[in-house]
Amino acid sequence: MAQLVGPLRKELADSLSSCRVLVVGAGGIGCELLKNLVLTGFKNIEVIDLDTIDVSNLNRQFLFQKKHVGKSKAQVAKESVLRFCPSANITAYHDSIMNPDYNVEFFRNFQLVMNALDNRAARNHVNRMCLAADIPLIESGTAGYLGQVTVIKKGQTECYECQPKPTQKTFPGCTIRNTPSEPIHCIVWAKYLFNQLFGEEDADQEVSPDTADPEVAWNPADAAARATASNKDGDIKRVSTKEWARSTGYDPVKLFNKLFKDDIMYLLTMDKLWKKRKAPLPLDWTEIHQLGVFGYIENYVETLRSQLIEKGEGAELVWDKDDPPAMDFVTAAANLRMNVFSMNMKSRFDVKSMAGNIIPAIATTNAVIAGLIVLEALKTLNSDFDQCRTVNLQCCSFHVGVIGLVQILTLAVFAFDCLRNVFPVIGPSVQVSMKTTSVSNNNKFLSDFGIRNGSRLQADDFLQDYTLLVNLIHSEELEKDVEFEVVGDAPDKAPVSSVPEEGKNIANGNKDSAQPSTSSKAAEDDDVLIVDSDEEPSSSTMETSLESSNRKRKHHDADTDDAASKRKRLDQQPADDDEDIIALD
Amino acid sequence: MTDNKTSKEQKYDRQLRLWGDHGQEALENAHVCLINATATGTEILKNLVLPGIGVFTLVDGHKVSGEDVGNNFFLTSSSIGKNRAQAATELLQELNSDVSGNFVEESPDKLLDNSPEFFHRFSLVIGVQLPESTYLRLGSVLWEAGVPFLICRTYGLIGYMRLIVKEHTVVESHPDNALEDLRLDQPFTELKHHVESHDLDNMEKKDHSHTPWIIVVAKYLEKWYSEHNSQLPKNYKEKEAFRQLIREGILTNENGTPEDEENFEEAIKNVNTALNPTKVPSATEDIFNAEQCENITSQSPSFWLIAHGVRDFVRNEGNGKLPVRGTIPDMIADSDKFIKLQNVYRDKAMKDAAVVSKHVEALLQSVGKPPESTSEQEIKLFCKNAAFLRVVRCRSLAEEYSVDTFNKDEITSCMYSTDSEMVLYLMLRSVDRFYQQHSRYPGVYNYQVEEDINKLKLCVNSLLQEYSLNVNVKDDYIHEFCRYGAAEPHMVAAFLGGSAAQEAIKIITHQFVPFNNTFLYNAMSQTSATFQL
Repeated sequence: MAQLVGPLRKELADSLSSCRVLVVGAGGIGCELLKNLVLTGFKNIEVIDLDTIDVSNLNRQFLFQKKHVGKSKAQVAKESVLRFCPSANITAYHDSIMNPDYNVEFFRNFQLVMNALDNRAARNHVNRMCLAADIPLIESGTAGYLGQVTVIKKGQTECYECQPKPTQKTFPGCTIRNTPSEPIHCIVWAKYLFNQLFGEEDADQEVSPDTADPEVAWNPADAAARATASNKDGDIKRVSTKEWARSTGYDPVKLFNKLFKDDIMYLLTMDKLWKKRKAPLPLDWTEIHQLGVFGYIENYVETLRSQLIEKGEGAELVWDKDDPPAMDFVTAAANLRMNVFSMNMKSRFDVKSMAGNIIPAIATTNAVIAGLIVLEALKTLNSDFDQCRTVNLQCCSFHVGVIGLVQILTLAVFAFDCLRNVFPVIGPSVQVSMKTTSVSNNNKFLSDFGIRNGSRLQADDFLQDYTLLVNLIHSEELEKDVEFEVVGDAPDKAPVSSVPEEGKNIANGNKDSAQPSTSSKAAEDDDVLIVDSDEEPSSSTMETSLESSNRKRKHHDADTDDAASKRKRLDQQPADDDEDIIALD
Repeated sequence: MTDNKTSKEQKYDRQLRLWGDHGQEALENAHVCLINATATGTEILKNLVLPGIGVFTLVDGHKVSGEDVGNNFFLTSSSIGKNRAQAATELLQELNSDVSGNFVEESPDKLLDNSPEFFHRFSLVIGVQLPESTYLRLGSVLWEAGVPFLICRTYGLIGYMRLIVKEHTVVESHPDNALEDLRLDQPFTELKHHVESHDLDNMEKKDHSHTPWIIVVAKYLEKWYSEHNSQLPKNYKEKEAFRQLIREGILTNENGTPEDEENFEEAIKNVNTALNPTKVPSATEDIFNAEQCENITSQSPSFWLIAHGVRDFVRNEGNGKLPVRGTIPDMIADSDKFIKLQNVYRDKAMKDAAVVSKHVEALLQSVGKPPESTSEQEIKLFCKNAAFLRVVRCRSLAEEYSVDTFNKDEITSCMYSTDSEMVLYLMLRSVDRFYQQHSRYPGVYNYQVEEDINKLKLCVNSLLQEYSLNVNVKDDYIHEFCRYGAAEPHMVAAFLGGSAAQEAIKIITHQFVPFNNTFLYNAMSQTSATFQL
């Protein structure tokens, strides 16, 4: 091929046609990347994406056209590329890369993995899989005019998770339910409302007044009185919002009156809230409707209701910023609530931006970044890691991975056979959940603690001031009688650890270790925490805070009621066994 | 029609958030000419067709070759032998049904011979992989016609762009870290009155902790003035003292511990930027002093007309200050107080813009143009961005190439470091010289690479001699450029395609500031640089 003459050395050019690469994501960067790869001479390409094509993709994802809307991105991308470059050998998966089927063995099929993702959970996951499989990864991303590309290679560079990433902002429930002060609070509330009415109900997404608001210092007797006084719709508090809405046939007037009148009047009875704030103003249906300024919420409710019916019994709608009725509904509901709380209205365009966490995306930035990815890919295949534009630092996870079957691997095996025998952890103790200690947990399986494929566990050994991060990879394909496999070497002793500061503050373990400790003492000195369990991106927002609060708790434990709780455990089980895990889900 | 509008809104949603409806409209009204549908050419065009440029015209006299199909996504083996402009247009057109594409099966040289005015009609001409003689000719035609010209070139692992535009004005430059325009150092009357209407000492606790920080700062500034001879806190020490003054104003509870007043915390945090003296930025001052602003004629573009109007405002009603921008940042405050304050700024901005309008109207009248030639909207946008105006003036190719006017200082000073990207520029000039002499680029045939190295070396030396440049071009670069054999690797074309299209969008939308005037990219070292040549 002509394009290979000159710029590329012959050996490199040859290796392109024989190597296998994985492209994770067939969106903005993915489309450009697939094109660049085939035209640079890559022959064997696998692409995976769980998404389907949306109209708003068409301004940049050039492998898709209007007629493809709703179809699998990976599949259509493959077909479009083949149309132009029939000689390429492309495999497409319409699936999530986080599906355990794509195990370490799967990753080992490739010489190189390239991320073209749009969320952190999947990025973390692929990062861990590539570290475990020891396959170089090229990580990339764009936002508006900005973009980045970096090469991650086990043992030679930083990994994706070495640097803490800014977390997505979340809002306390009572701000959303009782005292919104910014438009975003109302928008979040409206999204919750959508899910409560039409989508998957989530107890953390309540929209009705929160009587447990700590600011209210509630008196239960008053509460009951108030509830009867203001609660005109009698049973709405006892059944779920969705059931109630359904029982009214999604009557827009009833919905309106509950949400923007009765609930608000109820909020007003929580007078403590309004001592320092401007009190909300309940809305009147007839007045508002005459104005018509909020769009016609009843029409949106009706459209969504019929969509729900069309889907059949027990169906749920999924909120999507690019689905017009869903977006219209949220815009109207958010603006009504903004009006109640005396905020200026927001346009649909702005609401969409905030509700959808929309990151602007354009063809040009993706084109630039995808070009850079291929250049880094060539250097990577050439093993020119020195030339790669990347940070060569000690990696946060020390490249340790444990492969095991979460439903089979027990805590005991993990803690003793793995942590103590393979890694230089002296006294493995594992903390489980806030209150439990658990002795009997010993033979519980890792899966019972919510540990799954891709979970990251942190082992703190306070005896040696040693912290180990272990990426756990679930695998069904271990050899017979092998309970786990360790990938990568843990250092003899941790150098500078990149765990949050709190880790160092808990120094009592260190002090204790001045004397040789008893086994029970030692057992107290390190723990395994699940620091990240790869939920949706939003869940990772809780990571730091939860972790620190748990640590505080632990500190507290060790300082004060340590003795009591330990004795209790000792009574039940040999000291060695006292273990717990804090599951941070 | 409305259906069409919403479907466009949906399709372009993610980019409207960057350049807005008016930016999109500018794109949709643009007619871009692209010369040569090589890999770089079609990549650029792809990145303009996707966001919805109005019309493109592809000019290319070449036939599709096997080599083209190898590195160009928009040419397939079935198109080999066909005209390249036609083949590429067909496939590019598929990307976006809102875009209309034309092609001209003619080389740019032929068009320049027969009807150079052909190129006058375009909003922008992008020339890709052109020989030196062609882009110099085309450059002078477009310079005369005032049509912006972007030259793009992928040469092995090197990317090159040159922008030639006589004058490009930008109202919305979208600065990254713009300071707010709050006028706390020189409050306008309405703001003064509004501040006076607050009495922090006799307020309910709830109001005290929900008064916008701007008012808090303004209030304590009055106090400060009375103790400091009406001088703003200037240095760090004074600002720190001023912060302390605000801190002392935080209410305390019955035990004497300070209450949690976030608005005061915000005020303390913002002291530094809020007290920045209000003045006309130097870039805007330069625009006011430009000849185009001074001498308004009936031919003057609206940018200069309005600039003149704003200048008149600054020199008269504005007392040396620009029109008020009219926006304030988000802050802790109750909605009512916030909106009132916001309106104070907004109303003043409208008032100022109205005064500017009057000046512009008078100006239009004086040059015999109807008052509606500039819109209210345009004037408002201009006033809002008055502190961020930019004018980009590129040197012409003729200036760059003439031994009398070329930028010797820039080249010599950069070349103190032998690996400066400037060396790539000199190498590109040398391969052009090679082409002139041999009618081919060095190293295109593998068997000739060795002998071409010496020939290219001669070209480098003659270039340096002609321009009396006493600089050192390392042999490595000569070898490297011969090895490239003028190839157009796809990944470099992809990179340049993205960068060039982005610059084209800047030119078309008059938003963001384009580079001035030469951009070089080294794919091997992943570095880039811009030079004014």
